Amino acid sequence: MKHDLIKFPLHIIVHPFDGFWDLKYEGKGKARVALLIVLLMVLTVIVQKQYAGFLVNFVDPRALNSMDDLVYTVIAFLLFCIANWSVTTLMEGEGKFKEIVMATGYALLPLVLINLPMTFLSRIMTQEETPFYYLMNFLAAIWFIFLLFVGNMTVHQYTAAKTVFTLMLTVIAMGFIVFLWSLAFSLGMQIYWFIYDVYRELVFRT
Amino acid sequence: MNRSKALVLSLIVFLFAASAEAPVARAAAPYEAYTYDFYEDAVPLPAPFLPDRAIAGSDLGVGEFNQPNDIFVTDDGMIYILDSGNARVIVLNSDWSVVRVIRTFAANNGKEDGFANPVGLFVSADKEIYIADTDHHRVVVLSDDGKLVKIVENPQSDILPKDFDFSPLKVAADQAGRLYVVARGVYEGIMQFAEKDGFMGYVGTIKVSPSPWDRLWRALSTKAQKQQMQLFVPTEFASIDIDSKGFVYATTLDINSDETIKRLNPTGEDVIKRFGYYPNKGDIRYRRLGNNSGPSRLVDIKVLDGGMYVALDSLRARLFTYNDEGELLYAFGGRGTQIGVFNTPVAVERLGDSLAVLDRGKNNIVVFKPTKFGSLVNRATAEHFAGNDAQAVVLWKEVLKLNTNYDMAYLGIGKSLLMEKHNEEAMQYFKLGMERKYYSTAFKRYRREVMQKYFGPFMTGLILLIAGFAAFRIVRKVQMRRTRSHEARFD
Repeated sequence: MKHDLIKFPLHIIVHPFDGFWDLKYEGKGKARVALLIVLLMVLTVIVQKQYAGFLVNFVDPRALNSMDDLVYTVIAFLLFCIANWSVTTLMEGEGKFKEIVMATGYALLPLVLINLPMTFLSRIMTQEETPFYYLMNFLAAIWFIFLLFVGNMTVHQYTAAKTVFTLMLTVIAMGFIVFLWSLAFSLGMQIYWFIYDVYRELVFRT
Repeated sequence: MNRSKALVLSLIVFLFAASAEAPVARAAAPYEAYTYDFYEDAVPLPAPFLPDRAIAGSDLGVGEFNQPNDIFVTDDGMIYILDSGNARVIVLNSDWSVVRVIRTFAANNGKEDGFANPVGLFVSADKEIYIADTDHHRVVVLSDDGKLVKIVENPQSDILPKDFDFSPLKVAADQAGRLYVVARGVYEGIMQFAEKDGFMGYVGTIKVSPSPWDRLWRALSTKAQKQQMQLFVPTEFASIDIDSKGFVYATTLDINSDETIKRLNPTGEDVIKRFGYYPNKGDIRYRRLGNNSGPSRLVDIKVLDGGMYVALDSLRARLFTYNDEGELLYAFGGRGTQIGVFNTPVAVERLGDSLAVLDRGKNNIVVFKPTKFGSLVNRATAEHFAGNDAQAVVLWKEVLKLNTNYDMAYLGIGKSLLMEKHNEEAMQYFKLGMERKYYSTAFKRYRREVMQKYFGPFMTGLILLIAGFAAFRIVRKVQMRRTRSHEARFD
């Protein structure tokens, strides 16, 4: 338990090549833990928007909505996983969907570990110290991207160049999925309203 | 039964009478006053000014105005109206009674001379009337009783082209007798004339900075194409005013600029403060296309007391009042036919506490009286400007009773609290006023206070903790060794 929840996640973020290898071939990672990290990420986003110090918090409190944060974070995560799976399946990637979810989930850990405490530290910062806050957030983001890169490379057994290429394709694929989904949604709604109108017409005629 | 009915009835009548005694509800303003908050949303305000009366030419007994273009009010309340269509200057007392009407003046050669479509008017501290006599291409200076003092025309200088057409639009003069003229078709800046030597040069030249895209486009085009292109000329000034210290306030009609209001020091540099959340250029939220779109066209500016100034937007017919830091205090006004909204407002002046707006379209002047809210804001701003923060706080607290959404009031109280070293309270107020810079200062001081207060106990605690931990480790080590040696003995 302690190994799954604490030791392995911490190991993977400091020794990514090693860790992701273990994740893929030694069966060390747990999808549950990866999803837990995603939930922690949601918590981080919510807490950051709500409790970051006044000097670094430019969020309009009238626009705060934790449900939105939850939905958008989870959707973005799933969207990335699905897009990545779609792209890599076509491009001879060896990763299974579960492995992609795990790798992406574990890669989010630095964002949680750095941003969550920084949120509270930002409350005791003056204006001159806020660059430190932004620097730490920036480092967390860089670390996350690096982990995502290594995770993808290991899980799919790609070369570095191919990983960069597939990651870029993944972003494009995410755009496609959003586009197709909204297209399907709008067509679906049209069909729904058409049927509903026919129904209503029939109801009022008789 | 009947008696109790009568009692109730009389009670009701009495209540009505009591409520009628103090009429709380005044006529609603025909416009909505607002200011912008930190998120650049327009926030409604109680009306800072309400229209008091409209004055037309017939009310003054001088016949209707015809396209009046400018108005000026001196410090002692004398009102001068430039009635351009009728080519006359109407001089009024502070109680709006006509003193004289100047149509003509005796020129130097003894002949009667008049004005042709004059646009601008200014009255100096020693009551000399400056008239921008536009279609006669000259500035006429008259004494208070309408006698000619001098005429400024046909400026000569190496920097002016030979066939220069001098069409003055707006004038102002400082105490030293220097004359500032905004002229038609002059893009170089405000023309400055010395009392005796004539044209001195330009002040407040607007820098032109073409965008990178424009630069690229120019670099790629041929010479012939370049000649076809629009020149990158700065825009004209629209109005000028002079404050008591001799600083020139001016507005320009540059739609691409965030710096349409300028305050020029004697060397011609723009020294206005722009410390607000957003540029002091009138409206910051407006439609980009269609009706009523585009940034404000600030056609007039007037300096008020306490570092405040009011700018008049002719596009949406609104008045914007700023404090000396360039923060919007309130905006109000609009287009329409009721009293208090305008057709074509062209000039704004100050009448004591009130404001007078000259409407060229309606041929009248509307006087706006400050409401309780407006005068409290004005007084508080002036007190803060004068450095009397203690008085300002009392007034800002009154303002907050009338409008709890007023960032400026929180800011004012916060600044004063900061001055008095009430840092923790100041933090609260700066947070409410969304002012991060001052909040940071207050917080820094507050943090230091807390650290100084708790440094002793904190360090004691820390040292005790470390010592305790070390002792624990040593004890454990000793115990371990002892058990090991015991085990060794038993072996």
